[in-house]
Amino acid sequence: MSTLLEKHIVELLQERNEKAISLLYEHYGDTLLGVANKVVRNEELAQDVLQESFVKIWKKSDSYDASKAKLFTWLFRITRNTAIDKLRSVNTKSDKEIQIDVSDVYNLGVNSTRPEFMDVRENLDKIEPKYQIVLDALFFQGMTQQEASDELDIPLGTIKSRLKIGLRELRKIYGPTLILVLSMNLIP
Amino acid sequence: MKDKIKQFLDSDILEKYLVGTANQEETLQTERYISMYPEVRDAYNELQENLETYAKLYAIKAPAELKDQILNRVRKEHVGRKKYYRLAIAASVAVLVSFGASFFFWDQNQSLQEENSIVNNKIDDLEETMRQQLEDVRNQFIVLQNPQTKKVAVKGNKKAKELKAVAYINPVKRLSYINVSKLPNLPEDQCYQMWAEVNGEMVNLGIIHEADSQEKLLALPYADKAISYITIEPKGGNQTPTVENIVANLAY
Repeated sequence: MSTLLEKHIVELLQERNEKAISLLYEHYGDTLLGVANKVVRNEELAQDVLQESFVKIWKKSDSYDASKAKLFTWLFRITRNTAIDKLRSVNTKSDKEIQIDVSDVYNLGVNSTRPEFMDVRENLDKIEPKYQIVLDALFFQGMTQQEASDELDIPLGTIKSRLKIGLRELRKIYGPTLILVLSMNLIP
Repeated sequence: MKDKIKQFLDSDILEKYLVGTANQEETLQTERYISMYPEVRDAYNELQENLETYAKLYAIKAPAELKDQILNRVRKEHVGRKKYYRLAIAASVAVLVSFGASFFFWDQNQSLQEENSIVNNKIDDLEETMRQQLEDVRNQFIVLQNPQTKKVAVKGNKKAKELKAVAYINPVKRLSYINVSKLPNLPEDQCYQMWAEVNGEMVNLGIIHEADSQEKLLALPYADKAISYITIEPKGGNQTPTVENIVANLAY
């Protein structure tokens, strides 16, 4: 995901050009569907969430502030919130439903067997489950570290250190790209 | 300061802000820290990168049909919005037009009312003038038709030999009029003025204009043994008659 493309999409969004939605779907659709699926744990429901999220993205397009967040961060927040709302409305059960289940970490769905996702799964395998759990709690479940500590019955200090290591592992995998993206960000 | 930043980074406010679960107070604090401290800004940017990277690990192929569905919904949204804007614009225009019309009619009403009061005043003035003139004419008629009215010819003295005037005096109706028919020419800075001595008091009857005095009867205040004078006075008239400039007198 280049910054140039990001800029282009933002411009289209602000011009209220429908092409923005097309481009967003092409470049972020898969990842956002994955995000929705991580929260609702049902691919069909996740697709509903993605659709609703895109409508929200379109409606809220003038509220995006590039100085406050990267485009993906903004898209992620909308999708995740929509997914959580969906889960609450669909599920008559308590919010416990979003609790962390270790087995989920390995559940990548049928689509993940497709070749273009193979390296992704390989990469995911490089991160030990214990780190993935903490990263999941933080990024998808939106738990605070304290909440994750309570929920997972892991001491807060361990959560903090696992989070650090997990992020470091992540950087190891994507290190070169990250540096590239960061240096691109420096070019005005 | 370092402690404050470290404490902030150790707390998970930044992470909450990242995924959008921070409350308003935390959001404001985070945005302040991001703008103030490069360490916080770097940590935030790194977290954003990590989030994207990590989220990508779970990507699921989004079906092409879903894209079409989304585009259809977005288009409907667009049309809905357009309709709404059109309605909003139409409503705004209607409001503006009605404001404009209201002001226009209000303004017209104001000026019509003004005009109406001016016309009414003019009618009142005319009525008053007509009433006065009618009264005047009636009195003149009474005087001139009355057999008891005396007609007295007035001639100028040696200062104005050409002066000719006729006075009509009716002691019964106690009315008197004078018609000045001829006045000798005067220098530009002088004029003829009419006076009457009534009960020992000198009353100013005004300046005689030759042009209109020929057809006009000038009312004289009536009193027993009153005397009228015509004098030559400086242009514009005088407060008291100049005795040595008396050109004609009339006792009645």
